[in-house]
Amino acid sequence: MFAILKKEFKNYFLTPIGYVFIGLFLVVVSLIFYNYTFSQHYINFEYILWDSIIVLTFITPVLTMRMFAEEKKSGTDILIMTSPRSIFSIVMGKFLAACSVILITIALFFIYFIILCFFGKPSIVVALVTSLGFFLLAMSYISFGMFASCLTESQIIAAIITIAFFLVISFLQSSVGILSMFSLVSMFQKFPLGVISLKEVVGYLSFSILFILLTIIILQRRKSVK
Amino acid sequence: MIEVKNVSKKYGNFEAVKNISFEVGEGEIVGFLGPNGAGKSTTMNMITGFIEPSGGQIIVDGFDIDKKPKKAKKQIGYMPENVPLYNDLTVKEFIAYMADLKLVKRADKKAEIERVLNAANIKDVENKLIKNISRGYKQRVSLAGALVGNPKILILDEPTVGLDPKQVTEIRDLIRSLKENHTVILSSHILSEVSQMCNKIIIINEGEIVKIGTPEEIENQTSEGNHVSVVIEDENDKFESVVSRISSIKECKLDKKVNNSKYYELECDSNSDIRKDLFKECANEDIIIIEMKKKENSLEDAFLKLTKKEGGEN
Repeated sequence: MFAILKKEFKNYFLTPIGYVFIGLFLVVVSLIFYNYTFSQHYINFEYILWDSIIVLTFITPVLTMRMFAEEKKSGTDILIMTSPRSIFSIVMGKFLAACSVILITIALFFIYFIILCFFGKPSIVVALVTSLGFFLLAMSYISFGMFASCLTESQIIAAIITIAFFLVISFLQSSVGILSMFSLVSMFQKFPLGVISLKEVVGYLSFSILFILLTIIILQRRKSVK
Repeated sequence: MIEVKNVSKKYGNFEAVKNISFEVGEGEIVGFLGPNGAGKSTTMNMITGFIEPSGGQIIVDGFDIDKKPKKAKKQIGYMPENVPLYNDLTVKEFIAYMADLKLVKRADKKAEIERVLNAANIKDVENKLIKNISRGYKQRVSLAGALVGNPKILILDEPTVGLDPKQVTEIRDLIRSLKENHTVILSSHILSEVSQMCNKIIIINEGEIVKIGTPEEIENQTSEGNHVSVVIEDENDKFESVVSRISSIKECKLDKKVNNSKYYELECDSNSDIRKDLFKECANEDIIIIEMKKKENSLEDAFLKLTKKEGGEN
């Protein structure tokens, strides 16, 4: 697992993908930061993260679309699939590599926190809790993006499936009953209040595990139908 | 070393591989021969565990590829068709990644990378990005990838396809040098290549094994008797009588006539060589021999004969 994690992580920064992802994110977050801090004079770090999750919806595919689609297209999947590594470790390696990019992004966010400290006393606890929520949400997004990537050879199609799915589930937010439970965005709501709720944490984790498992099943099945 | 037992592979209704069985012993170099689409790559993909057979069993070095994939796959180095490589990595990074994938111990990794780079003769491009190296080098990088971890078995799918003649010779020499330490299975549709390198040939056609044997066995078993072709200038039409005087000629057929030259096909008793007699007789009758050739039973003929579709013109 570690071998694949290392290679995939390196690959994000050998190619422009990692820089594009982090760069795009920071540009948008800077604008949000400017709006809250300088126009509206808030010093709440969590507001910035809260608003930036919409960006995450659209740029998660940058990280995930090539995961399996590109390997399949270029035929390199045969190299990993015929190695002694298990499908589980291949999938987890790729998944954790993308999660590491998210961690770097969050770490860079804290630059804004430091800037905020010059203007007042933002709560570090709330900032950390919101970051945790942000990470869990990103993890769920990545697990679905990865799943979409293993369905097709085309990175574009993988990206479209991912974004379309995120848009659909963000509409679930306003729906009622059981469907609203699947809304990843509404699960985020408690974190900016500084509350870590078990229900939401479990919700995100089970969503991630579900799509990691589905990815493994698809890859396993492909062996017999290919 | 490798046992393939009653293995088949179906894609929907299409049967790509039909119930094949064969064994490969330690130290053998086995050539998989067949026209395009015969099921060579499918069979290789099944042996390496990339795809699952629809039926049957594959045992690699005592381990069932389905039940103990980790142990079985560790014994195999695979160079797939079309040499898939990571274009964004340098040659050395790629080999290092393969070493990680193949569970090479951290302490041995550096030495192993060096060994493989030298064995495949790609030391001079080790720091180049794979997308920037030539096809011949890519082929060697892919072969180097298969060599990582010193697996007992090497499976090479069309290792020389798309190379220029010089590169083909280089790759063949490289493969021949691997003979000592590895069991090799290679596929090809180039016959001379297989007959040069392999000590066992498996001819496969439309998903079925049509013949297994050494190159010589296959040539002999499929030979169609003893043929001699001659081109002569015979102004007085005496050739027929010459032929009737040589008893070991069974049949004489006039193939074509071009200007004054006549092209004949002669079928003779096996183990006889009529060329000397024919030469002398023709000289007596003033028949000029332009060309005379004993037909060799080539693997080419054997292959064409074995893979011929019934009733088809292939």
